Amino acid sequence: MADVQPRVQVPGSVAKDEIFQVRTIISHPMETGLRHDPAGKLIPRKLINKFVCRYNGAIVFQADMHEGMAGDPYLAFNLRAAESGVLQFAWEEDGGAVFTLEKPLTVQA
Amino acid sequence: MVPTSSRVVLMRRGLLRTALGLAGGGLVARSSLAVPDDDAAESKLVEQLIGRPAVISPRVHLSMPPAFANGYRVPMTLSVDSPMTEADHVRVVHVLAPKNPIVPAAEFHFTPQNGSAVISTRVRLAQSQAVLAVAEMSDGSLLMARSWVKVDINGCA
Repeated sequence: MADVQPRVQVPGSVAKDEIFQVRTIISHPMETGLRHDPAGKLIPRKLINKFVCRYNGAIVFQADMHEGMAGDPYLAFNLRAAESGVLQFAWEEDGGAVFTLEKPLTVQA
Repeated sequence: MVPTSSRVVLMRRGLLRTALGLAGGGLVARSSLAVPDDDAAESKLVEQLIGRPAVISPRVHLSMPPAFANGYRVPMTLSVDSPMTEADHVRVVHVLAPKNPIVPAAEFHFTPQNGSAVISTRVRLAQSQAVLAVAEMSDGSLLMARSWVKVDINGCA
């Protein structure tokens, strides 16, 4: 199976109350379960079906993803800087595998 | 056999025709009918998938390229005008691709901590179609926007 590699870009330091962008991507084929292999057999569905972003433990953004999301799902969204801490990212795959990543965030008073 | 959704659309068209006919404008009726056909199917779909009807709103912005070579990776940026406070924010935005084999593409759940309700991503489109974004606000209202995208290559094969 291809390597599943999550990547996230956040600014290292932001001002308090600043709205900043978080860009995330995970390399993943997002197999829809609708395709056939060359032998005519249905390729089983395997999607990243959920993405969750936590800011100091609280869920601040979540995406439920279905067959219509492109391969290597890319999500860019905004967050408002509250206090310094950690951003945790989790991608859940069909079958239960979870891929995670953490980024520190420094908020200037 | 006519699928349920088209039958409902046909019924609605019948009702419309009657209503407009009573209003007395034969010509008006015919020219107005061309539009409600698509709109009725669309609102029916939203009602089926989300449970309630949505209204087209200028507060929802769905930005997609009008034409894109391949349907495998069509960029989209979606934003909703909202103060994103505890009292008034966007709860979730549903992205629907009505002409895809599986219509719901994603749901994006926002919180006041987002500061603004904006999401950029990429979707698959099986054919040219009007993609829908339906935003569920914290007061329960459903606001919708659509964006027509022409694709040359089926992104779901």
